[in-house]
This record gives sequence, structure tokens and C-alpha cells, in this order.
Amino acid sequence: MTRTNEELISQAKGQEAPLLPLLHQFHERDGYLSEEALRAISAGLRIPLADLFGTVTFYHHFAREPGGQAAARVCTGPVCKMHGADALLTSMPGATGMPCSGRCDEPIPVLRGNQTWVGLAADALERRDTPVPPAAPAGTTECVFAHIRDENRKSLSGYRRSGGYAALEKAVTSMTADELIAVVDASGLAGRGGAGFPTGRKLRAVQEAGGGPKTVVCNADEGEPGCFKDRALMDHDPHAVLEGMALACVATGAPRAFLYLRYEYPETDTLLARAISQAEEAGILGDDVFGSGRTIRIHLRRGAGAYICGEETSLLNSLEGKHPFPRNRPPYPVTHGYEDTPTAVNNVETLASLPPIVLHGADWYRSLGMGEHAGTKVISLSGDIARPGNYEVPLGLPLATLIDDWAGGPRNGNKIQAVTMAGLSGGFLAGDDMDVTLDEPSIRAKGSFLGAGGIMVFDETRDMVAVAHQAMEFFAHESCGKCFPCRIGTQRLTERLAGDAGPGELSSWLDEMADLNATMKATSACGLGMAAPLITESLVRYFPEEVRAHVSGS
Amino acid sequence: MSDKSGLTLFLDGEEVPFTRGESIFQVSERHEKEIPTLCYDDRLDAFGGCRLCVVELEGARNPVASCTTKAEAGMRVTTRSGKLEMHRRVLLELVVSENREVDVDELSGYASQEMATLVDRYEARTGRFEGRQSGASRPDDPNPFILRDYDNCISCYRCVRVCAEQEGDYAISIMGRGFDTQITTEFGGILKESACTFCGQCIQTCPTGALGDIKALRHKEIELPIEKTRSICIYCGVGCSVDIMTKGDKIVGILPAMDGPANEGALCVKGQFAFDFVHHPDRLKTPFVRDDQGELVPATWDDALDKAAAGLMAAVNEHGRHSLYAIASGRAPNEAGFMMQKLVRAGLGTSYIDNCSRA
Ligand SMILES: Cc1cc2nc3c(=O)[nH]c(=O)nc-3n(C[C@H](O)[C@H](O)[C@H](O)COP(=O)(O)O)c2cc1C
Ligand code: SF4
Ligand code: SF4
Ligand code: SF4
Ligand code: FES
Repeated sequence: MTRTNEELISQAKGQEAPLLPLLHQFHERDGYLSEEALRAISAGLRIPLADLFGTVTFYHHFAREPGGQAAARVCTGPVCKMHGADALLTSMPGATGMPCSGRCDEPIPVLRGNQTWVGLAADALERRDTPVPPAAPAGTTECVFAHIRDENRKSLSGYRRSGGYAALEKAVTSMTADELIAVVDASGLAGRGGAGFPTGRKLRAVQEAGGGPKTVVCNADEGEPGCFKDRALMDHDPHAVLEGMALACVATGAPRAFLYLRYEYPETDTLLARAISQAEEAGILGDDVFGSGRTIRIHLRRGAGAYICGEETSLLNSLEGKHPFPRNRPPYPVTHGYEDTPTAVNNVETLASLPPIVLHGADWYRSLGMGEHAGTKVISLSGDIARPGNYEVPLGLPLATLIDDWAGGPRNGNKIQAVTMAGLSGGFLAGDDMDVTLDEPSIRAKGSFLGAGGIMVFDETRDMVAVAHQAMEFFAHESCGKCFPCRIGTQRLTERLAGDAGPGELSSWLDEMADLNATMKATSACGLGMAAPLITESLVRYFPEEVRAHVSGS
Repeated sequence: MSDKSGLTLFLDGEEVPFTRGESIFQVSERHEKEIPTLCYDDRLDAFGGCRLCVVELEGARNPVASCTTKAEAGMRVTTRSGKLEMHRRVLLELVVSENREVDVDELSGYASQEMATLVDRYEARTGRFEGRQSGASRPDDPNPFILRDYDNCISCYRCVRVCAEQEGDYAISIMGRGFDTQITTEFGGILKESACTFCGQCIQTCPTGALGDIKALRHKEIELPIEKTRSICIYCGVGCSVDIMTKGDKIVGILPAMDGPANEGALCVKGQFAFDFVHHPDRLKTPFVRDDQGELVPATWDDALDKAAAGLMAAVNEHGRHSLYAIASGRAPNEAGFMMQKLVRAGLGTSYIDNCSRA
């Protein structure tokens, strides 16, 4: 039965972080966000109408025309473009493009309402389960992927049969928060969402911060092009993510947690909602976790299309229903996060690593890495590669080993020209610089970073200026507009890579490029604007001939 | 050197005191460092958007925005260096590249020369970074007060923030993202249909003239220098300070006084825009009285005063002294207001006197 505005609003009012869920309910009920809906929400949640309107326009998936919610969106990310996304988009009347939607290991994804379809042609689209990560070479010990290929892990009973929630039970019944944090600290686990901040230190900072209630946020926005690991974890091992969140709650003393999921993962949304309610029914989550009297409530919140909402402070503003610009730091979320309470924001993979670390110990986790590197990292590998997919590698593994031995080498036996790092945010590595090991020190030494672990492979047939242009178009599309260097800089870089504007003479072209890169890196207000110029910097460094040809041709 | 709290930091090598809670920018301002800004208005929360105010901080990998970074004891801050000046110039070249023009008439608004001044200071009219321009003007908005010339908007959001933080009206907001952000009312409409009260605050904080004072700009063709005279708004009891702009002996516009003790730069629609009556052709310059046919005809002051006195006294005699009630106009000077109450109290014998400004 369709619910009235009043019913929806009065239900939302009693909730934490009510704006996004309420907008989604109207969006789905009416098929778009009408003026009338926004007026009702503005009055109901007491948000000024102009502010609400502006904020809604920030998210590219909120439709404001009838029928817009159900209209098809075709992924036009860099890897999907290699698969012919532009042609698919043109062949589908009424469809619009969307930035990389986190399925680069599958044929082109098409989102219709709350269903994901994949395929290479409009009449051959099908619904498919998220691919299971390819098997790791014999002798590899995995952490977060250890049980992911076990079909039973998705259900609560299957999860528990394979040791699931034992870590949480242990933590709430026989460990202090300090002990828990000490294990995480000693494991050497660092953030897997991009910035690589030591997880134990973050949890301790929240635990020690004054004020409350404290909050844990699982960052499942996974907006970085070329990254699709968090969805694999959530789809095939959802309880591991929830257990990791609960452990972070125990460590910090937080009674509440949010899982902020990107819009493009509707099936994951359904699956997680079910997993949360099953865990609550079983007394594992909720008001009496394992009979300990402790409350841990996990709230699932769905984004609406904005890469910047993966940036933790933008995410917090989004949760709070504010305009999702990143916040100025300091203060950091560990002291002033969700509604100004001490908040631990952690990536899905980071949190999913906690249960095995608590069960098997810090030394076990450290030993999974190679040499002095602690632990593992999931790499999303895509593009011109024989076996694209998610690989959990020991940190320190040579990139060449991953590409050639684990993933079957380049597709069609072509030569690899370049790879991206950190999805797109680390720019390109090419030539001898591809001779790195998969760990931050090695990759940072080349002026890039491993980040969230997305690696796109481009073989010798690809036009790297065109790839750089697509990358910059993405950053320009996703720039929030708060700060000058990124808002204008990403636009100017895009125009120059498209050949639409800019000096026709190489030295002035390079001169403008160098100034833009330097000023964006040094003065942007958040990681997006600082990372975007790594694309142009590395393009100019590795492909000077291609750049010369591009400039003289434009 | 230290104040009572003993907190100090090093500003371009010099140890200077500060108070807890101050930003690096505020400390630097006190020491006349002239750090450039475009998104800053000291009445608003620091926003950190323009990034012109970046300074070097020892130990930090990147320069930090001085407006949003709180001063801390022992910090070593550099406010000017070759690198910083280079970044500032590039940032200015970028904003120049997104706008239709840099130079706007000073009558546009209080802060309207901020961008042009910085562009000149940094010699940033270089034509670099050319490309698409941002912002779409709204010539379709028929309001008589606020020019919405967003072709010249640099997305500093001072207008949005002043409307929310100072006025509490929340009439305007930010639509879209990135290069396509656009200042808007709800649903992209016109100001009259929004929560706008036409206070003009957004005009006065706009650093580019993208928002302009339409009433003042009517006089931009008058080729005389603008003179400013400090006064108090006549309209109500708040007593907002204003600077009246004149060209020759013509009032061409009103600026809010940022240092006005009652208003600190705020005004309402009346104080900001309602000054036309001074030079209005309908304004009475001589008294009129009704002739035998009841028609208004020009008269001498003596005639007019005699007639008025006779009429008023007749009313008092017939209906008693409390049959009269007087209201003084806010548009009249103080002295006239004083004379009016004297006349009513002493002359007519009633205390029924008020002023339209008694808000
Ligand atoms: C533009 C931008 C986008 C980001 N997107 C994500 C994201 O989708 N998922 C994520 O976990 N972290 C993302 N981050 C990093 C977060 O800000 C934050 O560092 C991270 O969630 C912390 O978790 P971790 O310590 O477990 O890595 C992004 C950062 C930036 C600057
Ligand atoms: S760097 Fe880009 S995304 Fe980040 S705050 Fe600035 S404009 Fe927004
Ligand atoms: S005139 Fe006043 S109320 Fe209207 S938009 Fe500007 S600041 Fe807001
Ligand atoms: S209209 Fe003026 S004050 Fe408003 S954002 Fe644009 S430049 Fe800034
Ligand atoms: S004044 Fe600091 S960023 Fe604009």
C-alpha cells in the first residue's frame, strides 16, 4: 500500500539520520522527487526549502522529473568504456550515463530502479550475482577472503558455523576495550579505504575522546573508479562486515553505527538489511549483544550518487542531511564526527579484517604480509587483464606477480602500457615504474599511492590521453564545488585533455598544466582535488610523445 | 612578548601573542600581513573555499588555509613565500578565467571591488586557463533591488552563508556540483517567490559584483566621485548605521556600516533600498491648502499654518484634547520630531504622540 507523506515523515522523524532514507522513500514511491515531496519534507524535518533543494541537486541519482528513478543508467567508467559503454548508452533511449559504478570485473552494468543488470548489448542484459573472487594461488593465506568462496557464509547460521561472531562474543564477554584496541594496534592494520591511517590509533582516539554517544561509520561508498572489493565482501560475507562494525563499537564504546552504502549497490542494500535484522533477532546485535547488556545498533543508509560522499567528512555531512561539502579539518571526526560526536569512520575492508585479527591474533595478521609489511590488501584488478577480479594479496607482493601469475597476464597477450593506482586517484604508473611491490612505501616512492587498491590495466592499444581525459572528466563531474583549485582546476584540465581549450603551443600548454597540478595538489581542500592532478602529472611524465601529438593536433 | 594567556606563535619569524580560538588568519590580520582572501567575511564562519589564504605551517605537508586553522602555541607560520604567491596568482588567474569580466562598478556593492583589487595586486589578468565560463545570470528575475549576474560569480558562497548565518532567511542555496554549481532559490525560481526579504546583505558581501545593487547602479553614468556620509537609518528604533553614498548632491545608494554598533553591517530592505523619496518628483516642496472648491492649491507657510492651527483648535474645542493623535514620520529629521511632540504636548495638550519608527 502506498504510504502518505505524513506517514513517511512521521516515521522518519523518530530515526537517526532521517533525511536520506526519507528522500529515497519518496523517490521510490513517486518515481522522482517532486516539488510537493520536497516541500513536505522541508516542513516535516524543518530543513529550509532552498537548502533541501540545493542538497538534493548535489546527488546525481535523485531524479526530479517523473519516471526518473526507474530510468536506466549505464556505467560509462573507464573500464566500461573499453567494453563499449558509449555505444550501449546510445542504443538505449532515455538512458543516462553514470560514473564508474563499481563492477569493472563484469560486463557493462546498467542500473534500472533498484535492479542491476549487466551485459554488452541492450537486448542481452542479465542479472548476475557479484562474482566470487578468483581462487588465490596455493599456499596463500587470506584474511578477509578466507571464507568468501563458501556459499554458506552469507547466511547467519553458515557464518556462525565457520567461526563467525566468535570474535564479537569474545570481545563483549571477556575483553576490555583497551585489550581489543591493543590487538588491532599490534596487528599493524591500516585503513583500507584510501588514506591508510593506522586503525588501532583511530579506534583509541575515539575511545579516549570526551563526549558521546560515540559513533562508528562503515564507509561503503566505494565510489573510486576501478574499486569493487567492498561490494564483494558485503555480498558474499555480509556478517563479517557487521561483526567488524560491532567490534569497532566495542572498542570505542559506541552504541550506534552507520553503514553508508553507495546508491549503485541496491541488491547489497537489501541483503545487508536482512543480515542486520537476522543478527538483531539472534541477539547478536541490538540492545543486548550476546547477553552482555551492551547496545549496538547498526543503521543502514544509502547514498544517492556522489563520489565525494566517500570522503569521510562529506559522508558525515551527508548522513546529517547537510550539504555534502567536506568539512574543514581539524577538528577530525575522531573528536567531532557525526553530529559532533567522536566518530570512527572506517572502510568495509578495514572493518572486515577485525574479526579474524581478534580471533587469530595480531602476530598472525602481521605475518600475512611480505617482509616488513603487515597483513593483506584486496586489490580490484580490471581492464586489459585475462582474469579481472578481486585478489587479496600479501602486502609487498610484486605487482608483476599479481598481474602475470595470479591474474593470467594481459588480455590477448598484448603488452601492458600503463596501470592506474588507487583506482584513478593515484594516477598512472608506466614503463619501469610498474616494477613496484604492492605496498605504500614502494608505490609512494613513484609519486603515486596504493590507496583503496583499485588497479586498472591498459594495454598498448589504448589511447592514454583519452584515458586521462575520461579520468579527469570523472573528477570534474565529482568535484563538490567547495574550493577554487579543484572546482575550476578539474574543469580546465578536462578541457585541455579533450582538446576543447588551452594553448595550442606545447610549452605554454605544459606550463599551464604544471601550474594547475602544483596549485591543486598544494591548496585543494580535500583529497579529490589533491589527487586529480596525479593523472595529468603522470600522463605528462610517461607519455610525452602522446601529449605532444595531442597538443599539436588540437 | 606575550599577553595574559602567554600563548604565542611565530609569524614570519616574529613571536606574536594570540588568544585561544583565534585563527591564523585573525592573528595575521592583526599584524597587517595582508593575506589575500575571497571567501572570507569576518562576520561569517570561516569556510575555506577560495584557498587564497593558504600559509605555510612548519611540519605540515601542504600549506593550510589560515582562515580555518586555529592558532596553536609554538606554530611556525609563513604568510608569504615565492610558492604561496605563485599558488595565489594561479588561483586568481583561475577565477578570472571563469568570469565574464573583472571590473564592475563600485556602486554594485560594499565588497564588489575585492576580486578586481586582488587580481591587480597579483597581476593576474593574464588570459591563462581560458575555457568555459561558469554561472548563469538571471535576467529573468524582475525584482527591482538585486542584480543576479551570476556570469560573474566565483562560487565563494558568501551570499548563501550571509543569508543563513546573518539574516537567518535561508532564501538561497547552492545547486549542483563542481564547476556547474549555481546560486539558486528553491526550485531555481525568482527571489520574490522565495524566502528572500530583500535585505541586500548578499549584495554587500559579494566580492565580484555578481550580485549588485540595482537601485545604486542606476546612477553609474553620473561621472562624479562617490562620497560617503555616515548616518543612521531613519526607519526604525534599531538605529542601524549606514554610509549614504552621494554623487554631487544626489543620493545614489546606501551601504551598511560594517562597524555600526547596532547592526554590524546588517540592514533590512527599508534601510538598504528605500531612499528614493529624497529626490522623488512627487515630494512636496511647498505647502498646499484646500480652496473653497476643496481643491489643493499651493500656499504660503503663513497661510498654511494658520489654516492648520484653526482646524486643530476647532477639533480640540469641539471634541476635547484627546480627540487628536499625532504620528511623526521616520523620514523627518530628529529636530522635526522633537518639535512635533512639543507642539502636540504643549500646544494641543495631549500626550497622544508617536513615531512610525517605534519598532
Ligand atoms: C574523494 C574521496 C573519496 C573517498 N571515497 C572513499 C570510499 O568510497 N570508501 C572509503 O572507505 N574511503 C573513501 N575515502 C577515504 C575516507 O575519507 C576515509 O579516509 C576512510 O573511509 C577511512 O577508513 P579507513 O581508515 O578504514 O581507510 C575517500 C576519500 C576521498 C578524499
Ligand atoms: S578538493 Fe574538490 S572535492 Fe574536495 S573540497 Fe575542494 S572542490 Fe570539493
Ligand atoms: S536579500 Fe537578504 S534575504 Fe534575500 S537572498 Fe539576499 S541575504 Fe537572503
Ligand atoms: S553571487 Fe557573489 S557572493 Fe554569491 S557565490 Fe557568487 S561571487 Fe560569491
Ligand atoms: S579566506 Fe581562507 S579559504 Fe578563502
